[in-house]
Amino acid sequence: MTEIPKESKVDSAITKKLCEIVGEKNATDYKHIRYAYSYDLSFVKPKLPDYVVMPTNVEQVQKIMKFANQEKISVTPFTAGTNIGGLCIPENGGILLDMKRMNEIIRIDEESHYAIIEPGVSHAKFASALAKYNLRWSWPVGPPSASTSSCAISHGIGGLSARYGLNSEEITSMEVVLPTGELVRVGSCAIQEDAWHSCLPLPRMDGLFTGWLGTTGVITKIGLRVHPTPPILKVFTASTENIGQMASYLRTLGNYEICDDLTAVSWWLSNVPIPYPYKPKPADAPEWISFATTFSWTEKEKQAREEIWRMVVDEETKKGSSLKETEYPEEALRARTQLPSQIVGSTKNYTKQGGGGISWPGTFTPVNKWEPVYEEWKKILIGRNLSPSVRVTNYRGVHYGMLRAMIPFPKKDPEAVENARQAIVECLKVDLDNGGIPYKPPVDFGVEINKRAHPGYVDLMKRVKNMLDPNDIMNTGKLAL
Amino acid sequence: MKWDIPSLEELEDAVWKCTACGNCKTAYDFGPPPTNGEICPAGVEYGFDGNMASKGKIAFARGILDGTLEWTQEFVDDIYKCTICGGCQNQCELDHKPVIPEIIEAMRRKAVEDGVGPMPTQKVIAQSMRSFNNPYQGPRRVRTDWTRPFKKAKKPIKNIMKKDAPILFYVGCTGAFNLPVRNFPVATASIFQKLGLDFGILGENEICCGSTAMRLGDVEEFKRVAETNMKTFKDLHDNHGVETIVTSCAGCFRAMKKDYSLSDEYEKYLGGLKIIHTTDFLFNYFKEGKIKFTKELPWKVTYHDPCHTGRHLIDYDVDEDGSQQWKGSYLGKSEDNCLYDVPREMLNAIPGLDFVEMERIRSNSYCCGGGGGVMTGYGDWAAKNAGLRIQEGLETGAEHMVSICPFCHYNLNEGSKRIKSSMKVYDLVELIDLAL
Repeated sequence: MTEIPKESKVDSAITKKLCEIVGEKNATDYKHIRYAYSYDLSFVKPKLPDYVVMPTNVEQVQKIMKFANQEKISVTPFTAGTNIGGLCIPENGGILLDMKRMNEIIRIDEESHYAIIEPGVSHAKFASALAKYNLRWSWPVGPPSASTSSCAISHGIGGLSARYGLNSEEITSMEVVLPTGELVRVGSCAIQEDAWHSCLPLPRMDGLFTGWLGTTGVITKIGLRVHPTPPILKVFTASTENIGQMASYLRTLGNYEICDDLTAVSWWLSNVPIPYPYKPKPADAPEWISFATTFSWTEKEKQAREEIWRMVVDEETKKGSSLKETEYPEEALRARTQLPSQIVGSTKNYTKQGGGGISWPGTFTPVNKWEPVYEEWKKILIGRNLSPSVRVTNYRGVHYGMLRAMIPFPKKDPEAVENARQAIVECLKVDLDNGGIPYKPPVDFGVEINKRAHPGYVDLMKRVKNMLDPNDIMNTGKLAL
Repeated sequence: MKWDIPSLEELEDAVWKCTACGNCKTAYDFGPPPTNGEICPAGVEYGFDGNMASKGKIAFARGILDGTLEWTQEFVDDIYKCTICGGCQNQCELDHKPVIPEIIEAMRRKAVEDGVGPMPTQKVIAQSMRSFNNPYQGPRRVRTDWTRPFKKAKKPIKNIMKKDAPILFYVGCTGAFNLPVRNFPVATASIFQKLGLDFGILGENEICCGSTAMRLGDVEEFKRVAETNMKTFKDLHDNHGVETIVTSCAGCFRAMKKDYSLSDEYEKYLGGLKIIHTTDFLFNYFKEGKIKFTKELPWKVTYHDPCHTGRHLIDYDVDEDGSQQWKGSYLGKSEDNCLYDVPREMLNAIPGLDFVEMERIRSNSYCCGGGGGVMTGYGDWAAKNAGLRIQEGLETGAEHMVSICPFCHYNLNEGSKRIKSSMKVYDLVELIDLAL
């Protein structure tokens, strides 16, 4: 049996105060309701919040934060809880701030191509609204019910990351309630209330709230760049025998900056679902398979992209690469190009065989480090009877890249969970030592990051955190400082 | 008779297959263009993740199984605040998908077994079942009140216990006892007579199918009426010439097709009988050209897919022995038995009728809010939720909504009244009867 979350002390006076702020229907300390927020997909140990509260407007969020700050109660912000880093598991109990009822799409500016949304807006809702204007967003391979804004502020990626980079790079403005309850704005909306088009050329104060794992404030509105959807999709699929040749291909193709998504996955990840436990790859199957997603406005544009792709294939072949044009597994390709996707969204591709659990070493790692890190990861994972189900992706051409392994495990079995946790942390250490940086990291990863960090970096983080959250109430403990 | 109705403990492996990914929370389809909508009535109303879709209900089950959660009044209440509509189930792709409603009902069975369920207003149903053999506290003699117009018109309906017939029209308690829905059996019988069918009813001898008891977790009561019905049906087949059982009630249909099949003697008792929903039954005559619409119905209507004739009839393909993927793996689904196209084809065939679709249809239909014992346990919420569905219908420009379930019919009309809408909800048989 897996670990049971420890009970903590509930104070009915606090529940009463929260009910006064948001109404009785939107605040509770009932254990069965709290229990549903105590765990997520990951290996992170379950922990119960003491209270759950669902604000419906900004004023309520401010009142909750002022009250929590005054009483020094931890607050864990939550939208959908679908990350795989335990980011919404309340390390220190306290208030679980469920933002799902603030879910309005406030504006879609079809001329300037940005949208203003509240934190509870899901990918599914945003996708269907944007489609009416032939606009799109860089949808991640997460559940359609996941929050668009949470993905953006956590440096999530998506199907347009090869072209536009991280989703956090698409943020144009923010409205934020600070841990102390004050309302602030960053970006153009800070200067003119109705202008949500750009964070630049002002100082990048959005950086105070992106990548901080919900520890510095509660985003109540966010402006996001959106993009037109060209009508012609062409996906180039190719395989290689090893990661080195695949990295070379992705780097060469990335140079031309013609792809919206440029990704390769190991054989194990191309399976739907990932094999659990590990099983050897068939001898005749290539180890790496890639898909390069391109969109074009005209047939001629598509042909030009094809011409470039052929050129890249020729170039790689001349280098002696095993690169071959290949068929990407049908369901897996749909899962990765028809986004948002229920196939990946329901984690069918990831954890169906494992049974209930999924975690990752998810990192930003430069292309030239993919090969040495992957080879080490393979040893670690196979050694623990886990599939080396690894993905690599180019961000913004070749500027930087992602390297991650999706590791399923049966949640019912604590030994299997611990085996996966240890494997993942071992993988992470290898990546950190090669210059990679984990994203959306659970506390276990935060510890490893901070161990290696420049003392000035950790000190600056502490000072910034202390400035914004003097009582350390926001998502307490998540930065492992 | 032995029943294969699993306990929560027997479903534990399935419970642990849920990742808590939350895919179940929203009805989404890639399209293109992509569509999205709320799918969980409890989630819409109550909002907390525990109330929301299968993610929340599985959390409750997990908490019971790992010993963290003990019964409290509020906990039991939240377990019954679910319409068991299967909307969340339709979104899931994992191995517990085929048994999501079973997990929710197994929690209710446990609550009943432990003496804490169902909710007080629902206990009235359970008591009524035991006293009256129906959930409406209706005396036996009232069951045939709806047949009076036929007697008056000198077109009496056969009592099948007295006069043999190949077709049993199983009316169902809602059609018989719930006054606003009585036009259901009337229209059905009227159509049958217009078609010249030889059919009969059980009349005062009809008893509840047990669907409501099953949904509430009262398994013993379900078994009692189910076993009685199965024996009655076999007797009708063996001794009264009955070959087909037709029912207009989606709940009865689901119970007889799915819940009764959990008996080890299902084939023995019902194997020789065809059980069919009225809509499907009439569609066969329509296809054969035996139903010819002669009157115009110049209405603009939309159609609401009931859960019990839709998602609940999905067949799930599971790798039972592990020969294809692994033991217990969910492989795929078939919607062949779902009544999606049949009512739509019938509607489109009615002269003058303008049929328009809502956004959430077929397997992503938004539950009216009346199922799973919610209409009796939480009538106000059920009607409020139905108002949301009516609003969606109004947004299509339709004047009226059509469905094929008496629960939906009643609850949606309540919802329409609640939002002060002029939209009226009809059963398809009412329209067919008008157009014949």
